Amino acid sequence: MSLPAPHPARPGDNQPNGFTLLANGEHLETIVRPQEGLISRRIFADPEVYRLEIDRIFGRSWFFVGHETEIPNPGDMVSRTCGIDPAILVRDDDGVVRVFLNSCRHRGMRVCRTDRENVRFLRCPYHGWSYRNNGELITVGAENHYGPGELEKDKLGLIPVAKLGSYRGLIFASWDEHAPPLDEWLGDMRWYLDIIFGRTGEIEVVGVPQIWEVECAWKFATDNFTDNFHVFWTHQSLVPLGLLPNFPDFAAHGHMVTAGNGHILHFVQGAPNDETFMGLGLEKALWQHFPHNLNPGQTDIAMRHAYSAGTVWPNFHWLQLTSSGDTASKPVGILNLRLELPLSPTRTRMYSWFAIDKAASPAYRKASYENYVRTFGPGGVFDQDDMENWEDCTAAAVGPAAKRYTLHHKMGINRKTATDWPGPGTCYPDSYGEMTQRAWYGEWLRWMTKPLNGSNTRAAS
Amino acid sequence: MTNPLPAATISTCDCAPGTPLYGEIIEFLYHEAELLDTYRYNDWIALFADDVRYVMPVRTTQFLTKGAGFHDVAFYDENLVSLRTRVQRLQTEFAWAETPPSRSRHFVSNVLVEPGERANEFAVRANFMITRTRADHGHQMFTGQRADILRRDEATGWKIAQRRILVDQTVITGTNLSVLF
Repeated sequence: MSLPAPHPARPGDNQPNGFTLLANGEHLETIVRPQEGLISRRIFADPEVYRLEIDRIFGRSWFFVGHETEIPNPGDMVSRTCGIDPAILVRDDDGVVRVFLNSCRHRGMRVCRTDRENVRFLRCPYHGWSYRNNGELITVGAENHYGPGELEKDKLGLIPVAKLGSYRGLIFASWDEHAPPLDEWLGDMRWYLDIIFGRTGEIEVVGVPQIWEVECAWKFATDNFTDNFHVFWTHQSLVPLGLLPNFPDFAAHGHMVTAGNGHILHFVQGAPNDETFMGLGLEKALWQHFPHNLNPGQTDIAMRHAYSAGTVWPNFHWLQLTSSGDTASKPVGILNLRLELPLSPTRTRMYSWFAIDKAASPAYRKASYENYVRTFGPGGVFDQDDMENWEDCTAAAVGPAAKRYTLHHKMGINRKTATDWPGPGTCYPDSYGEMTQRAWYGEWLRWMTKPLNGSNTRAAS
Repeated sequence: MTNPLPAATISTCDCAPGTPLYGEIIEFLYHEAELLDTYRYNDWIALFADDVRYVMPVRTTQFLTKGAGFHDVAFYDENLVSLRTRVQRLQTEFAWAETPPSRSRHFVSNVLVEPGERANEFAVRANFMITRTRADHGHQMFTGQRADILRRDEATGWKIAQRRILVDQTVITGTNLSVLF
């Protein structure tokens, strides 16, 4: 009797050489070469790569799910996603922050059915299964028809995330029980999160996020956030209006940092000797808080810069900008939180939150908010042109010819690191460069080539 | 945080359907829609009062007992200067979201008019449907109700003194809001 034929290699399988196979025989490791600045167009809109991403990244990483100030009181609840799974972010009656799959344990019906609630109990519409806001199952419909042992209520609470943590008010969660602790995962990024989210004590998220959908691959949006040299060209409509300097290098005076684990960021200076562009654009009265909340190196960075953007890997960003959204307003500090939720290989849901320092004056708060709305989100005079780029980049990445070619991410590939930067991570001078994107794609490749049956943590690898 | 939709009432004033005033207001709204659909932005911006507030609040899904789900955070929160900035931007050659331009079509219907708080002001509610096609993409659509305060100015004609754009979508599915409402 002959031996059965060996199981043919399937897409995503790791080959004997350790490489990750795609259906046409290509390996991810050969079409994505971050250290050379060569990223295949195939990985953006290809359904096969997307399916691997959903399992290998969106099933395992830490994800931003919300800010503590969005749920200040017991019973406060918002509908979110964790990865791509629908999730409930809730503060229970005891004040404990929890994240659950937004799905009944019985048939899987959605249980939190609004965007924002304050409730003690959630009742599933399907069969009346009811849960306390800490996830415990209390009652079910037709309970008297279950025989002994048929309904183990104490084991049928809402499905919690495997890991949950917060840093500076930012709540992160993961569905992977093997995910490293949040502090370890954020690592050196915490030093920079302190500057953005802790500089004046606490920041608060105001109201609800703007949410909208763009016909684009999620990575084209993600790639954009630490890209400084697109600003002059993509947002050139604002130059003749006086909302951006008429100087292509205006955002080049800064540093870019790769902070480990795929986390990336930059800090950029504004016009020299202009107080408008100091202290991250915050009103001057807020600067006095910096030394009380930050160490001298962090304070120095906060004082000297006007702009910062960062990505907590994979899809959460901050934008700290000093901008005006109309021709009469002075540039003012704006703190914007962003998230991309992939819906398909070519469609992405965008989230945008406005945040502000709790210690801000009413006048500054109003100015910052108005300029945020006019500048960012789907109606923002800056943001809307980015979406045009992301959609057309995506449309051109779908076909078989395009997929044979790479994109170009080589700027600064030979750049030497900075020696005078007070912060952790690897820092590069000159904020025009693609060092951050290359680090992000490097992390992407690491996650995508790690099979599901292994733990995907630095600590374990 | 929630702002209920304006109560539905039957107009009994001299601005009711069939009156000359109602006809003037309808003509004004149709004229405004045509200006937007034909890219006559300078003429469009001239329709707004100096003190205009133009707001499109973010909407969320809520139970009926909790109101209509509108919030203080908005997609647009504009005054005359910021609206004019948007128009000026569209007239540069670099506003890529509208360069080359989308084709929009503004439909206005279900117009209800009531007297406003001042003698020369009228509260005008109208349903809107805006379609947009862009490049070789299919139609995108935005629907909702506009709640305007229109002001009749003897010297300069009708002006939009306030516009609240009460959009139906909690998730804007149309790429961006580069078309104006």
